[in-house]
Amino acid sequence: MIVAEHLTKRYGDKTAVDDVSFTVAPGRVTGFLGPNGAGKSTTMRMIVGLDRPSSGHVSVRGQDYRRLRSPLTEVGVLLDAKAIHTGRSARNHLRAMAATHGIGRARVDEVIELTGIGSVAGKRAGGFSLGMGQRLGIAAALLGDPHTLILDEPVNGLDPEGVRWVRQFVRHLASEGRTVLLSSHLMSEMAQTADHVIVLGRGRVLADAPLPELVSTWTSTTLVVRSPRLDELVSSLRIPDATVSVLEPGAVQITGVTAQTVGDLAAAHGIPLYELTPKAGSLEDAYLALTDDSVEYKTKEIA
Amino acid sequence: MTAVAAAPRRATHAPAFRLSFAHLLKSEFIKILTLRSTWWSLGVTAVLSIGISLLIAAASRDFGGGFAAANVILSPTQFTMLVAGILGAIVITGEYSTGMIRSTLTAEPRRGAVLLAKAVVVALVMAATTVVIYAVAIAVTAPLLTEGLDWSEPAQSIVPLALGVVSMAAFTLIGLGFGFLIRSGAGAIAATVGVLFVLPIVFSLFSFAGASWQWLVDGAKYLPVNAAAMLTAPGGDELATGGITLAVWALAPLVLGWVALRARDA
Repeated sequence: MIVAEHLTKRYGDKTAVDDVSFTVAPGRVTGFLGPNGAGKSTTMRMIVGLDRPSSGHVSVRGQDYRRLRSPLTEVGVLLDAKAIHTGRSARNHLRAMAATHGIGRARVDEVIELTGIGSVAGKRAGGFSLGMGQRLGIAAALLGDPHTLILDEPVNGLDPEGVRWVRQFVRHLASEGRTVLLSSHLMSEMAQTADHVIVLGRGRVLADAPLPELVSTWTSTTLVVRSPRLDELVSSLRIPDATVSVLEPGAVQITGVTAQTVGDLAAAHGIPLYELTPKAGSLEDAYLALTDDSVEYKTKEIA
Repeated sequence: MTAVAAAPRRATHAPAFRLSFAHLLKSEFIKILTLRSTWWSLGVTAVLSIGISLLIAAASRDFGGGFAAANVILSPTQFTMLVAGILGAIVITGEYSTGMIRSTLTAEPRRGAVLLAKAVVVALVMAATTVVIYAVAIAVTAPLLTEGLDWSEPAQSIVPLALGVVSMAAFTLIGLGFGFLIRSGAGAIAATVGVLFVLPIVFSLFSFAGASWQWLVDGAKYLPVNAAAMLTAPGGDELATGGITLAVWALAPLVLGWVALRARDA
């Protein structure tokens, strides 16, 4: 359980995190979404006491991280893969981290095995690929078998096998009743991994909801309809919110109505339907709709 | 809520794993001993120290009488102190430049403990190395000296040598303190070399400036290198002044570094 209350972080006159409150509950995977510069990483760093909040408070299982008596068994953190001395081998890095809590070599070998870095464990971390660095960072986060995991972009740079492994692994951890908070830019990945989503934009919480609810609130289901008597069908639709756009001759896309309504209508008028396909919005659509105004580093639309 | 269900599960296999200062020391020992830069620094210190001792020993026949044998072993300090200071600096600046500091501070969020553990470990490593270096230097220079170390007179042998070991540890701590304070490797090394090596030269330039600048020249004895010289002078009578001065030099940057470490975001 992570509880943030009115968390604020200012750097000079720039406010990176602005009065953010949320709760990350145990037993589910909570996704942290937001554009670059939205304050996700800063918030994560404040949770683990690396950055001091300008105001507000954040606690892990009711305690300030800086007061935890055995942080590694409480919280596993992957902040970025570059939190490792480049001159030290992966195994020695893990040994040094484990030693702070009296965790033995057996557990070090276990996390090396678990994250699949056995073949490079003796090599210096400076020569690691991004993916291997991520695996090493995840291995370090798992050392203390913590009940809370905070993972900033854990799948960044991982191969498809690694991405799937992280997804299954965090889902498994959550199913054991642990608290998992992870951020990712990969929407499709997040949609498959998270149960609950917190969206940040310009340092504020834009949304904090279960994933299906977030998607249904911020997207609309569209219908693709094909019929030889489309004009008749469309003109009989007397719903003010409905918008109709022509896809190609004989096919339209309609939003704001359900497939049931259109199907019933067609049956009532005896209009044949060749296709009636509802297309649900995606997390990506919801995310883009939510963060539209709060993207700090916006790319120019390609005409 | 599920939190309630999760809590007992943890309690049943409540880990014996616990953060403690002894564990932290062990971690810092693993860290310092698993970096090549440490072994390079210690190796360079050994080669410089023993090599210069040999040269001085070989030349000592021509010095005439009155040259204390302990000085043969201790003289290289004015060069090796730089390596000691640089080692102290890179122990922490290497963590900042690579991001390792974030792993360190998430494992032990009480930052004062991190600083203290690093100080203890780096000082002990340098002290132990210096003991070995002195032992080797004593052995290899013995055949070249007409008058060897007189162990029956502690003030001419064991006392200055022991204080030499302490001085090397102090130089390392000066570097470590600047490292915590400045964070950047280049900056911390520049500050360390500046204090240890450049300031004495600057001060000595004023000896040509006449009587009105004499106070500055006199002040030079409070620089770390001269304090160490007072402390380690065989049969010296300014041990207290030298010791206190060197201690202040070793502790002041560390205290400032501790204040900075506590206040800043990592």
